Amino acid sequence: MTETILEIKDLRVSYDTYAGEVQSVRGISFDVKKGETVAIVGESGCGKSVTAKSIMQLIAKPGRIKEGSSIVFDGRNVLKMSKKELRAYRGSDCAMIFQDALTSLDPTMRVGKQIAEVLTIHGKCPKKEAAEKAVDLLRRVGIPNAELRAKEYPHQFSGGMRQRAMIATALAGDPKLLIADEPTTALDVTIQAQIIDLMKELQQKTGAAIVLITHDLGVVADIADRICVMYSGKIVERGASADIFYRPKHPYTVSLLKAVPRLDLTNKQTLATIDGTPPDLLAPPAGCPFSTRCKYCMPVCKEEMPGATAFGNGHEASCWLHDPRAPKVEGLFCETKEACR
Amino acid sequence: MLKYTVRRFLEMLLTLFIIASATFFLLEAVPGDPLLERVERLPESVAQNMYHKYGLDKPTIERYFITMKGMLKGDFGESVRMPGYDIHQLLKETLAPSARLGIQSILVGVTLGLLLGIVAAMFKGTWLDYIIVFFSVLLISVPTLIFGLLLQKYVAGEWGLFPIIGWPKGADLWFGGWKYTVLPTLSGCFSYVATYSRLLKTSMLDVINQDYVLAARAKGLSEPQIVRRHILRNAFIPIITVLPMSVAFALTGSFFIEKIYSIPGFGRYFIESVQARDLSIVLGQTVLMAAVYVAVVFLVDILYTVVDPRIRVGGKQ
Repeated sequence: MTETILEIKDLRVSYDTYAGEVQSVRGISFDVKKGETVAIVGESGCGKSVTAKSIMQLIAKPGRIKEGSSIVFDGRNVLKMSKKELRAYRGSDCAMIFQDALTSLDPTMRVGKQIAEVLTIHGKCPKKEAAEKAVDLLRRVGIPNAELRAKEYPHQFSGGMRQRAMIATALAGDPKLLIADEPTTALDVTIQAQIIDLMKELQQKTGAAIVLITHDLGVVADIADRICVMYSGKIVERGASADIFYRPKHPYTVSLLKAVPRLDLTNKQTLATIDGTPPDLLAPPAGCPFSTRCKYCMPVCKEEMPGATAFGNGHEASCWLHDPRAPKVEGLFCETKEACR
Repeated sequence: MLKYTVRRFLEMLLTLFIIASATFFLLEAVPGDPLLERVERLPESVAQNMYHKYGLDKPTIERYFITMKGMLKGDFGESVRMPGYDIHQLLKETLAPSARLGIQSILVGVTLGLLLGIVAAMFKGTWLDYIIVFFSVLLISVPTLIFGLLLQKYVAGEWGLFPIIGWPKGADLWFGGWKYTVLPTLSGCFSYVATYSRLLKTSMLDVINQDYVLAARAKGLSEPQIVRRHILRNAFIPIITVLPMSVAFALTGSFFIEKIYSIPGFGRYFIESVQARDLSIVLGQTVLMAAVYVAVVFLVDILYTVVDPRIRVGGKQ
């Protein structure tokens, strides 16, 4: 369980636009160990999807991964792979599940064939056998009448079934790492739970590591071993799932947790929100990117990016409040879940 | 599917009927007398006979019903401008050259156009793309007539590579006398090259940005594999809408090319018959063209369901 399958160091991704260079990801590092699930959580535009695409080397122009970044998968540098190596890596070593399963499946190709395609192009088995395996995979992801369903087209599938089919496609190559980019965002809540359960179950069977990208902390709670909270292209807090949920150390994480809708809210209470908008990544701030929206903002926050403070067990947060010189804030970094409410 | 096909077929007949009626009344609304030129210097009684022969002495509504009844039997009446001729004879003599020219132009033009479109899309933003775009714009903005004349002057006239005018006859009507057909085909295909290269390029670029292309890349497919397996099929959907229209258009003749190269085709009768208010020929041509178009639209709908499963009516039960 301790062997590292994916190691990302100082990943920087920029998009060259007419307005200038948009720095989507601004130097993030994290690693994923074999068989574990790491969630990357953050709001829209924080760079989490770009991170996911970078792992697959799917960043297309005008985007580019900057010099000095490193993505090492199982001892091999993904950024230095040749085209041929990349093709073998994608789909086979590392597979991806996309957010919108409807648009991510080719509307003119039968679902079974789209799954079998992964097997045939990687030369894992001949066409006929691949077709049979595709049916098997559909069955494994819980699609009834798999044999008939394999011959159908994506538009004949419901939203949840499409996402199941996407998962089957991703599993076809028997990957060691599965990247799920907002796999449940386009689905309704009951289906979300089913898909997360399915992913958990399949992970136990295959032992694949999962990088789960989401903006929904509710989704993460159930499946993630570790969580990285991303904001404005940086990881502001990371740690074991329990640490993030029960002992958050960054004001942004605290706000995010408060924004998760809860069943015990009365209908008079408004949902908690985070006021303001993230900074423009065309000209990222020198200081902490969250400073403009942070209730506890101090002068230093606007000037300099805080370093990470470690709290043990791999739990780290980048916030000036943890500097010994900072004033103590009562009731912000709660020690129990109850206190957080 | 059978029910759908039958319904579509009945709709086709109705469409044809409406088009024929509209043509009749439109032509009727044009001022002038189709026989005037011929009867001018004839005695009154002969002229009367003449009008009677073509049924022009009857009121409009009555003539409408007579014409429609004749049409049902395939009889469009005798030409007023060319005595002794009717649409069937005209077609028999002129349709083959027009159709051959059209088929050749379409085959060459569309094949070339689609190939260039794929190249332009795959090498978007490179000099190859710019050259193709440049020629597309050139070919589409300069009229066929100009290219026809230029080819005639240089390729045929000064360099003497091909005959200047003419068209294979008799036994060579369909598969012979190729050298006569080269320049007309070239002149005819230019607009197709331009249209289809641009159309496919746009369509491919649209498909390239779709999520399923990214997903295909994430599966580990190579770029040529992605183009072959995912992009082309989806990019062809708009082509299928336009292509059969082009075929229908091409089959029914080209006025300019036939005129420049002296091809005994059917295209020039379009304009001349309308000018002469020659109802039988105009009606015959219109109904023929409409029939080809309507059939083509029908074919397109069927083809769509083959390429795009989302449109399949009713689906599998």
